[in-house]
Amino acid sequence: MKRPQAVNPGSQTKLGSQTRPKLGIIARIFYTERTRPLLIALLAILLSVIAISVLLVALGKNPLAALQGLLQGSGILPKPRYAGGKSMLSDFLGFLDAMTPMLFAALAVAIAFKAGLFNIGVSGQMLLAGFVTTVLVGYSGLDALIAKPLVLLIGFVVGGLLGAFVGILKARFNIHEVVSTIMFNYIVQFIVSFFIKSYYIDPVSRQSHLIDESARLTLINVSVGDITTRVPLCFLLAIVVAVVLYLLLKKTGLGFELRAVGTNKKAAHYAGIRSNRTIVTAMALSGCCAGLAGVTYYLGYFGSIEPASLTSVGFDSIAVALLGNSNPIACILASLLITILTYGSTYMSSIAGVSSYIAQLMVAIVLLFCACSAYLEFVVASRRSKDLETNESEGDDDR
Amino acid sequence: MDQGRIDSDAIIEMRHITKSFPGVVANNDISLSIRKGEIFALLGENGAGKSTLVSMLFGIYEPDSGEVYIRGEKTRISSPLEAVALDIGMVHQHFKLVSNYTVAENIILGKEPTKRLLGFIPYVDVKTANRQIKELSDRYRFNLEPTAVIEDLGVSEQQRVEILKMLYREAEILIFDEPTAMLTPQEISALLEVIKKLRDDGKTIILVTHKLEEIKQVADRCAVLNGGRLIDIFDIETTSTQLLAERMVGREISFEIDKSAAQFGEVILDVEKLTVCDEQKLEQIKGVSFKVHAGEIFAVAGVAGNGQIELADALAGLLPAKQGSVRLKQQDITAASVRKRSVGGLAYIPEDRHGVGLILDFSVADNMVSKAYFREPFSKGPVLQFREINRYADDLIRRYDIRCGQGSATQVRSLSGGNQQKIIVAREIDQDADLVIFVQPTRGLDVGATLSIRQRIIAERDKGKAVLLISLELDEVLACADTIGVMYGGEMTKIAPASELTRNEVGEYMMGVRR
Repeated sequence: MKRPQAVNPGSQTKLGSQTRPKLGIIARIFYTERTRPLLIALLAILLSVIAISVLLVALGKNPLAALQGLLQGSGILPKPRYAGGKSMLSDFLGFLDAMTPMLFAALAVAIAFKAGLFNIGVSGQMLLAGFVTTVLVGYSGLDALIAKPLVLLIGFVVGGLLGAFVGILKARFNIHEVVSTIMFNYIVQFIVSFFIKSYYIDPVSRQSHLIDESARLTLINVSVGDITTRVPLCFLLAIVVAVVLYLLLKKTGLGFELRAVGTNKKAAHYAGIRSNRTIVTAMALSGCCAGLAGVTYYLGYFGSIEPASLTSVGFDSIAVALLGNSNPIACILASLLITILTYGSTYMSSIAGVSSYIAQLMVAIVLLFCACSAYLEFVVASRRSKDLETNESEGDDDR
Repeated sequence: MDQGRIDSDAIIEMRHITKSFPGVVANNDISLSIRKGEIFALLGENGAGKSTLVSMLFGIYEPDSGEVYIRGEKTRISSPLEAVALDIGMVHQHFKLVSNYTVAENIILGKEPTKRLLGFIPYVDVKTANRQIKELSDRYRFNLEPTAVIEDLGVSEQQRVEILKMLYREAEILIFDEPTAMLTPQEISALLEVIKKLRDDGKTIILVTHKLEEIKQVADRCAVLNGGRLIDIFDIETTSTQLLAERMVGREISFEIDKSAAQFGEVILDVEKLTVCDEQKLEQIKGVSFKVHAGEIFAVAGVAGNGQIELADALAGLLPAKQGSVRLKQQDITAASVRKRSVGGLAYIPEDRHGVGLILDFSVADNMVSKAYFREPFSKGPVLQFREINRYADDLIRRYDIRCGQGSATQVRSLSGGNQQKIIVAREIDQDADLVIFVQPTRGLDVGATLSIRQRIIAERDKGKAVLLISLELDEVLACADTIGVMYGGEMTKIAPASELTRNEVGEYMMGVRR
């Protein structure tokens, strides 16, 4: 065959933007492949704000006052008056203190998601990391300069080991990570509870003894001018970790492998990627983040551990990661939003007369709408295709 | 008919249909009418706009402009449900079946016969359904058991379930989108018989295909599409295959491939007494031995399911060898990892493009480097070098004439099947490996793309590569092979130079008549 294959020249006429009529100019500029996840998330948030407002109005409350209360409680808007030694700054730093473990936990879920894994055991990994560091460093009386980095390091390692173990169970014995992490949640919860109740219980608070301040990752009672405030030491670290994970996923070979395994395991195997090793790596990284969440929560935000309970942070973070579309940078914004709802709700309850249960309901509503993001995407896409065209390519003979 | 006169025989009439997608016009001002009770074929290359056109009939897309008349009435079909209500049915190229439901359950899904328990609790009347479906199946000699579970059925049986689904809904207009792409020759002729019988029962059939022989065998009329335009409509009786082919590609084509005599070099692949089990631990390959030399095309012929796919997977390292050895350039790679084999000079174009060969949600560029991302210049240390990766991908896109709307950033999922296959071929051939394994490289591709890929296969041989070609199409084996190996029941029952075997002999070995 001598003729080169020049299949029907001019078949796929390129058309410029003149074929795109109707849809508003704003949508045309902002709705692209890249911005779609962000816009869908914003749409989900907008819808949930509307739903929440309807709920509040039905309860006879002023939705605007409630919203304002949330932001004031989080130190983002000024309150009308402050108690002695408090200010907007101290509220905001307290808010960041609560957000830090949430962000770490969300990153833990997100990185596992990217590799196609569902780490539902973030809470258990947090508790184990928190407990081990509390016992090893929390009561040791070490100097702060040694104790604090040691807490981070041990938390990182313990979380990572538990995560890696889950990964090995999956890779080696094909035990589904959802099953094993749920089981580990119980195992860790009750073992830790046994030791705390046996050896570390504070008879007054019914929690573990408060850890040394030198080992604590949050400075409490710091005086700035005439106010006292807490200072979350690891908030910036959480932001840095988010950026590092983002770069890892986007720009490195390991990130490529992770995403490939998460998207199509068979194709990844065919391309020579060792999917088992990748799964273990992803779960270990996820566990490391969960470990950091654990130490910033138990040895930062709280300073003690309540026996026989798991924190809801590990579960809320699943929704945060979903809201952030598993993108580490977007997780920063998503955890900011969810923490406003959880942290600001105390003040909102008192100022707007809305019960704190309603605040929990609000979180649930936001998460519900976020979980519907695939549906929202579908609705938006079909609206658009009615207006102009779908994102499909032409005449796809394979479907 | 442009003046608004409605052809009294026409069951479907499409007027001035235009549909565009970002960057392309898939259908450009197409007008045609289809008569009741005929087999109307739509012929065209990959990406000619055939699927888009029938998708609009079935309500998957809506035309940008133009009108559709069904039974003389102007209609807007905006969803498959509306299409079904108009008695239109469609068998998609990729079946839409629930794999753990039975045949009957799949067929009645959405139109279940219900009864009421104690007069008020509704339930699905499976018994009646099974009986109805058995009757339907027997009438067309489909030989389907209503209670069989889909995942236990073969491809052609699943397709018959899809056909029954349409018949159960009493569809009058049946659309078949590339129905033979996945079938063996025997299954194809059975299907074509079914299609004829359906026509004789008064159904109207639209057959989308790029296979000329099928059209020649069954169709009454045929519309040729090229580049989104309707080229012409032919009566099959009076039109030659050659003419159809020319119109389809838009130029004269030759079915012959120029192939010089082979120049065998050293042994590249040496397989000895290889035994391989599949994932269910069943022995699929039993003690197979053969050698492939540099500059040789070793083609493996065989009916589907005789161990060819497992052979390719085992050579690429996707399935472990149970016994025997595999040597690549004198190096024992029997236990080597997938990566080690690919770096060591083995390229593999797998049968399953969507599930194995490509990551559909990744971009073209990502897929182009999916086997090389870790190497210089695509990686420096752990960091990917996107500038290099994109430059490389753009280069391959140009050299292999891959049509993708947004260049190397295009998501592979949005490309047509032919272009997806070109991505794999480009990536594997550009590895410059010593051994290239092609499995069903032209399945589902049109004449032009098929020829171009076969030429590439021969070009690789002429460059001194060893080529292992595994194909279910005997024509492909005969057109390309220097040496033919026939697999039957997991064994290589015959190995001989292509020149020493006739077509019939190969067929007999394939069927296990000779061994």
